[in-house]
Amino acid sequence: MTLYALTQTQEAGGQIALAAALGVAGFFLLLPRPSGRFVPGGIAALLGAAVVFGSFLYRRFGDPMPNVIESVLFWMFSAGALLFGCVLVANKNPARGAIAFAFVILSTCGLFLLCAAPMLMAATIIIYAGAIIVTFLFVLMLSQTDGPSDENDRSRDPLYGGFAGFAFAGLVLFALYQTSQAADANQTRANENRLDTRFPAPVLNGDDRKALAAGLTELDAAAAQLDEAKTNADRAKVVLRFLAAQSHFTTVVGQSKEGKDNAGTIRVRLEKAPANGPAPAVLFRPDQQSKEALARAARVRAAGFTESELETALQKDKPDASAVKAKAQKLRDEVALLYGTGDLPAANVRALGLSLYSEHLLAVELAGTLLLVAVVGAVAVAQRKGVAK
Amino acid sequence: MTLSLWHFLAVGAAVFGIGLVGFLTRRNLITMFLCAELMLQGVAINFVAFARYHGNLQGQVFVMFILPVAACEAGVALALFLNLYRRRRSLDSSDWQDLRELGVPAATDTEPLPKPAMEPDPVLTPAGARPTPAAEEVARV
Repeated sequence: MTLYALTQTQEAGGQIALAAALGVAGFFLLLPRPSGRFVPGGIAALLGAAVVFGSFLYRRFGDPMPNVIESVLFWMFSAGALLFGCVLVANKNPARGAIAFAFVILSTCGLFLLCAAPMLMAATIIIYAGAIIVTFLFVLMLSQTDGPSDENDRSRDPLYGGFAGFAFAGLVLFALYQTSQAADANQTRANENRLDTRFPAPVLNGDDRKALAAGLTELDAAAAQLDEAKTNADRAKVVLRFLAAQSHFTTVVGQSKEGKDNAGTIRVRLEKAPANGPAPAVLFRPDQQSKEALARAARVRAAGFTESELETALQKDKPDASAVKAKAQKLRDEVALLYGTGDLPAANVRALGLSLYSEHLLAVELAGTLLLVAVVGAVAVAQRKGVAK
Repeated sequence: MTLSLWHFLAVGAAVFGIGLVGFLTRRNLITMFLCAELMLQGVAINFVAFARYHGNLQGQVFVMFILPVAACEAGVALALFLNLYRRRRSLDSSDWQDLRELGVPAATDTEPLPKPAMEPDPVLTPAGARPTPAAEEVARV
């Protein structure tokens, strides 16, 4: 079946074009007009556009996050933003549109949280949903009209307007797709996920967590095998098993013992200049979180086995299985703690404030002045000239 | 946490596109303004995603400046809308199309608006004969 054999680019372009065409059709059917609109058809077309868009995202850029909860949250918030955006555009009643816009704001704030911006989330909810939309509702109450009216029941060129908007969005998406392909081509790694575009700066990334989780299961399996090991040959296998489990960790936390120079992925990522001798290392992220992660990695390193240790414990005449098990349990705890070292942006507010008032002080002053001028201007524009009637 | 930048950029672009459609097609000034705010939200998603991607706060700072600018915009725009509404008793942006570019023909609405469904006046069935006024009764005040 080479009849429909398309290149990846053609396929992606086709998906985008299909989504855009369905979107144009949906808005054409849904936008208000005096002769009545076809609501079910419009909703069906928009749903189709959303499905094609979602499949484009999933197929081209991969699952957004390895974590199930985060993926679900991402899809939920983005679907919410798009859905309520469509409601805002297509609804005849501007008051309902304002309420839909409040929901768009809430969904966007969810996306902000996923991008580690809690301060912005709070500020956006307070300013947009709290202040701006309420002001809009006041003005809407002042100017409420009964029955059909020119402004609410007519649209200006729904076909051309929809085409313009969706052509723009489609072109942006296509450019994004091509950029992502170029970024992929630069990458020599396997194409199982597009690692180069992940957000950097996490203390632990997905690979680290994967390696740690694999090490944890290996460690459990080795401990179970140790229970069943009766002969020396069995124990030799267990020793190998433990060492194999530990090799998962050493790629992440590094290995300082026995002269093997392996810095570990956490150190390599977090350190800008490695520590030579007593001088402390310079960190990319000199915050509490990364320091804590490095300390935890050091504790995992300290809790680890050495080969000779294992062999003396297990290969002698009276094997000391319980001591090895206790040590394995301790190592397991440390690894689990390292695995759970979160990436919560607890210091986001403080860092944002520091950045605003040190690097962008002039801009803050200008924004304040702008607000003052806007207040004066709004009062000047809105007051009635002359005598009140 | 392996967040990928592309997803957020794509969602931002889609939100911006929907806002653009609304801004171009709707005629209510307030809805148009809300659609412009929707476009701003799409841009804000981009900024925050890039801030996360680069691991610094510059993008978030930019969004922090979008917020007061949007608030100023809302204040001044609503004052303007109130003034316009006082003049024409309508929020239709086409009412001010005499401000359009030179040489562009005026847009006219050909389709008539649907008549609002009015409740018919109540009709009472007459009961009995209509009284005839007596001759001596000249005026009853």
